[in-house]
Amino acid sequence: MTELAFSMNAPVVAHSPRAVAANATAKMSARRLNFHYDRFHAIKDVSLDIAANRVTALIGPSGCGKSTLLRTFNRIYSIYPKQVASGELLLDGENILHPKYSLNQLRSKVGMVFQKPVPFPMTIFENVAYAIRHYEKLSKAEMNVRVEQALNQAALWDEVKDKLKQSALGLSGGQQQRLCIARAVALKPDVLLLDEPTSALDPIATSRIEQLIAELAGDFTIAIVTHNMQQAARCSDFTAFMYLGELVEFGPTEKLFTQPGKKQTEDYITGRFG
Amino acid sequence: MNPVQSPQNRTSQRLLRKRSAINAIAMTLSCAAALFGLVFLGWILWTTISKGLVGIDWALFTQSTPPPQESGGLANAFFGSAIMCGLAILMGAPLGIAAGTWLSEYAGARRIGMVVRFVNDILLSAPSIVLGLFVYTLVVAQMGTGFSAIAGAISLAFIVIPVIVRTTDEMLRLVPAQMREAALSLGVPQWKVIVQVLYRGASAGIVTGILLALARISGETAPLLFTSFGNQYWSTDLASPMASVPVVMNQFTASPYESWHTLAWAGALVLTFFVLVLSLLARAILSRNKVRHD
Repeated sequence: MTELAFSMNAPVVAHSPRAVAANATAKMSARRLNFHYDRFHAIKDVSLDIAANRVTALIGPSGCGKSTLLRTFNRIYSIYPKQVASGELLLDGENILHPKYSLNQLRSKVGMVFQKPVPFPMTIFENVAYAIRHYEKLSKAEMNVRVEQALNQAALWDEVKDKLKQSALGLSGGQQQRLCIARAVALKPDVLLLDEPTSALDPIATSRIEQLIAELAGDFTIAIVTHNMQQAARCSDFTAFMYLGELVEFGPTEKLFTQPGKKQTEDYITGRFG
Repeated sequence: MNPVQSPQNRTSQRLLRKRSAINAIAMTLSCAAALFGLVFLGWILWTTISKGLVGIDWALFTQSTPPPQESGGLANAFFGSAIMCGLAILMGAPLGIAAGTWLSEYAGARRIGMVVRFVNDILLSAPSIVLGLFVYTLVVAQMGTGFSAIAGAISLAFIVIPVIVRTTDEMLRLVPAQMREAALSLGVPQWKVIVQVLYRGASAGIVTGILLALARISGETAPLLFTSFGNQYWSTDLASPMASVPVVMNQFTASPYESWHTLAWAGALVLTFFVLVLSLLARAILSRNKVRHD
């Protein structure tokens, strides 16, 4: 693992109880990453590190490429034709953009939660067990333990333990989103990608998810895309500000929000454009 | 000044009267048009019920088609229709679902997908007698065995396939793209995602498509005329001619015999009722699923 790209010139400042160590290591690193939707150049030469076991927020106005960047981290974009990423994207030092890198392996290591909660049309239990079954042969008892563990990690167990056999479509929006988080963490990935996970939820469900992100950060490396700057400030250790496909500024969240180094960043976080 | 008398108010009053009048005319015309259509539908149903009920008895379902002037039933025709429609669904549904899945999940918006979708729409509206002739030249004339139930089932399957391709394609495309992304992002391969996640999401629509296809072919006469032909007797042999309700109705209504007319009307009533039940079932499945999704 390499040292974080920016830690050479900018001291990493702790802002949360989970102190950010100055020697935080990079779990994933983009190196001169470019992304094209057909002819549209959506990400331009972006290099940044996602610190291991920390929360990294990607912020920026709509269309700045922050979601696109997140979607390269597990190559989910590759299901669509004409979407191409180039450059290097390292996970534990291996380039995941290399054609030989196994997509299955990548996606078992890098889980993703989407903007809209999308539970599968099956029971709550099956939603969590579904993907585990694809990777591991577990006995019924072992599976029960794994599902309970995942639902606990997603802070959902107490609410659903009596209705595991019911359809997941009957849950509330916030519960559905936590179920999607449980589904992702059940595979024990290293990295969790959250693509605006609270934008479809009400404030109470949102704060529940934010609390959950803080709890999960100890076990997982988290990258979160958000259009809500308060959310980025509240729950991330590092923040990347993107604009028009370029990485404008990247650093410890507290520094970026209190002493932004670039005029554009300052304008954005103070609400002067966006 | 009295507000009612002000010039603006008078203008608005006049406008309101004019619009109300136009509204009343449009409303009357559209209601009349709807009523016009419904009257004929009601008339058809009433004729079918009043003439068909006379012929409904136990013998209708237990005896085979009689010679002229004798009593009998339509048991052989009901059985033949059930066998041929069942076989047609068995042949057509898997092919249709597979093709619809390919269109929605693999071809997508690519050119080849659009071409196949367009060709399928042509097949969907192809006159069924053309499909019957096609199967006649392809199966009946080639095999040398002559008319057969299996040839009838094949020609019905040609009607089933485009219906199911269309509904499967449309229902799968209604499944949100995020569902695919969510399932694929777990590292599950695409075919598993389609079979285990997307089919569940679209199951109600796909089943509805199959039911509607069944409703459609149960009344088809033209494709059976040149393929399964007809059989006066009870037959379970798929390689020989077999009776079916629409073909028997066609034959009996054209005859001069009163007893045959009664049987034809009874067959019409049973067929209508069957199609009605299928349509209601399809609606029930779809609406139940809609409630669950909200």
